[in-house]
Amino acid sequence: MSAPVVEARGVTRTFPMPAGPVVAVRDLSLSIAAGELVSICGPSGCGKSTLLHMLGCVDAPSQGQMLVDGVDVSTLADAERSAIRLSKIGFVFQRFFLLPMLTAAENVELPQAEAGKARAERRSRTMELLDYVGLAHRAHHRPSQLSGGEAQRVAIARALANRPRLLLADEPTGELDQATGQQIVELFERVHADGTTVVVVTHDAAIAARSPRVLSMRDGRLEDGASR
Amino acid sequence: MSAKVWAFALRSLARQPGRAILGILGVAAVGALLFDMLLLSRGLLVSFRALLDAAGFDVRVIAADAPAFARPRIADAEAAAAAIRALPEVDEVVSLRLGNASVTGPDGRAHDVFFLGADAQSRRRPWILLEGRDLGASEAAPPALVVNRQLAKALGLRPGAEITLRGDCARGAATAAPPVRFRVSGVVSFPFDEPKAMTAGTRLRDFGQTCGLDERGDVDIFLVASREGAAAAAVRSIRALRSDLHALSNDEIVARFQQVGFSYFRQISAVLSSITLFFGFLLITVLLTVSVNQRFAEIAALRALGFTRARVVLDVLAQAVLLVGTGGLLSLPLGLALARWLESILHAMPEIPADMHFFAFEPRALLLHAMLLAVTAVLAALYPMRLVSRLPIAATLRSEMVT
Repeated sequence: MSAPVVEARGVTRTFPMPAGPVVAVRDLSLSIAAGELVSICGPSGCGKSTLLHMLGCVDAPSQGQMLVDGVDVSTLADAERSAIRLSKIGFVFQRFFLLPMLTAAENVELPQAEAGKARAERRSRTMELLDYVGLAHRAHHRPSQLSGGEAQRVAIARALANRPRLLLADEPTGELDQATGQQIVELFERVHADGTTVVVVTHDAAIAARSPRVLSMRDGRLEDGASR
Repeated sequence: MSAKVWAFALRSLARQPGRAILGILGVAAVGALLFDMLLLSRGLLVSFRALLDAAGFDVRVIAADAPAFARPRIADAEAAAAAIRALPEVDEVVSLRLGNASVTGPDGRAHDVFFLGADAQSRRRPWILLEGRDLGASEAAPPALVVNRQLAKALGLRPGAEITLRGDCARGAATAAPPVRFRVSGVVSFPFDEPKAMTAGTRLRDFGQTCGLDERGDVDIFLVASREGAAAAAVRSIRALRSDLHALSNDEIVARFQQVGFSYFRQISAVLSSITLFFGFLLITVLLTVSVNQRFAEIAALRALGFTRARVVLDVLAQAVLLVGTGGLLSLPLGLALARWLESILHAMPEIPADMHFFAFEPRALLLHAMLLAVTAVLAALYPMRLVSRLPIAATLRSEMVT
């Protein structure tokens, strides 16, 4: 088996609340190897998005260790975690979060510019990615001119811009109709087939069922029996 | 900040053009008022200094430190002037006598004229020749007179024309002297003239004759030109020579006015500038805070994509600088136009010399304006920058999902 891209070791995430602390993830351990396609499913509030945020270095565990490429990111400074997110992790959100004042191409260029890529390289990679997601003809359209499915495909292209090792998607089909959602799932499968590790959080059992590995969560824990 | 930060901030602003234009116009209005307040704070001082210097004399000697209407004259002026002229620090002394006269216009109406007599032996004059010839030192009949443009225009005078003046120079007492006929030798500009004042000048002797004065030779003021800018040394020497007289350099006159007469403008300017800047600060803070609040989820997403905290904070700062910078640039022509309009209103006040300006441009005002606006931009951005820097990425994304 390949070395893990990301690994959680006994992580717990607790949120302080006025009525008392809420434990979103409890003593959870998990290892995702390079090249895997993993779905994390479970009911709302079970902690799957919190887990995804910790896997993606946007949140830190209250206890335990989170390792990306063998590096414990729990103790890193914010700027170092940002650098890891920029170079090694791609994020796809339910609501796309494309910048409305930028065109599709500019949105895809944005993380590359942030990573300091040269303009020519950015342009070339952007067109390659838009072509990959089937939207080369929509490169100069703004998000408001795109359908939901197109916007999500642009968001996937943006997430892949810096050639991340790990692609994380949080309910990527949540805002889409079933047919469009299927196209997005197929796109994730293609990304996975092309060598990128993909982790998708979803509450849609049908989508989860298409993944080779499914992690089922309840009350902040992985359900042993339900996971495969 | 790199070009990509500026470009991104510009695109962020352009995303809400109405809001950006509102912010820029607000800053332009605030900046124009600030610019005018800065011009006003030192305007009178700067133009007063320029007026004093333009006259070509850097020391003034009077009999007593008292208001002009109650000030005694310098007695035995000829001897006093000669003694001061003999001082090594002094280049020239011009004796000046001030009074009033009246003249009848071609329409039969009497006009009041500000009348002054100057020592015609000196090379310098307390006026600037615009047309014709200056007063000569030699006797002539009829005596020579220089007039300002207003008087020349009102009476249709040109060099060579003749005019009859009736002196009115004894304070509060009627003059019994007969009217005197003068020949206009030139049209001049008197630096301290009011915009509508009619002023005439002649030699001291002819002034005395017109005003029916005796030959004692009292004058109101000595205008002194020091050698090579040795004004302070000249003042010290004059004080040592004649401790009964009051000698003041231009620097001292300006300093005195700065402490007394012009301090009101400085205080008003400081108060209004502070209020203006505060409103500018509020405007930009509110605009940026609203903008940032609306973009929390988007900013959190950018952070998730790998933007550093410093990067998103700089974006807010760059937006503030762009808003304030653009508004600040617009504020300069707007402020200058406003200053001209206000100047014309204020110049309607009596006894303000035409060459004296309430709003005087100085490079330091421009520099101060830029600095104050820059500080305002940074201060206005602090709160929204703090919001962005403390934005919890995961919690914001989660709450966006929930909402």
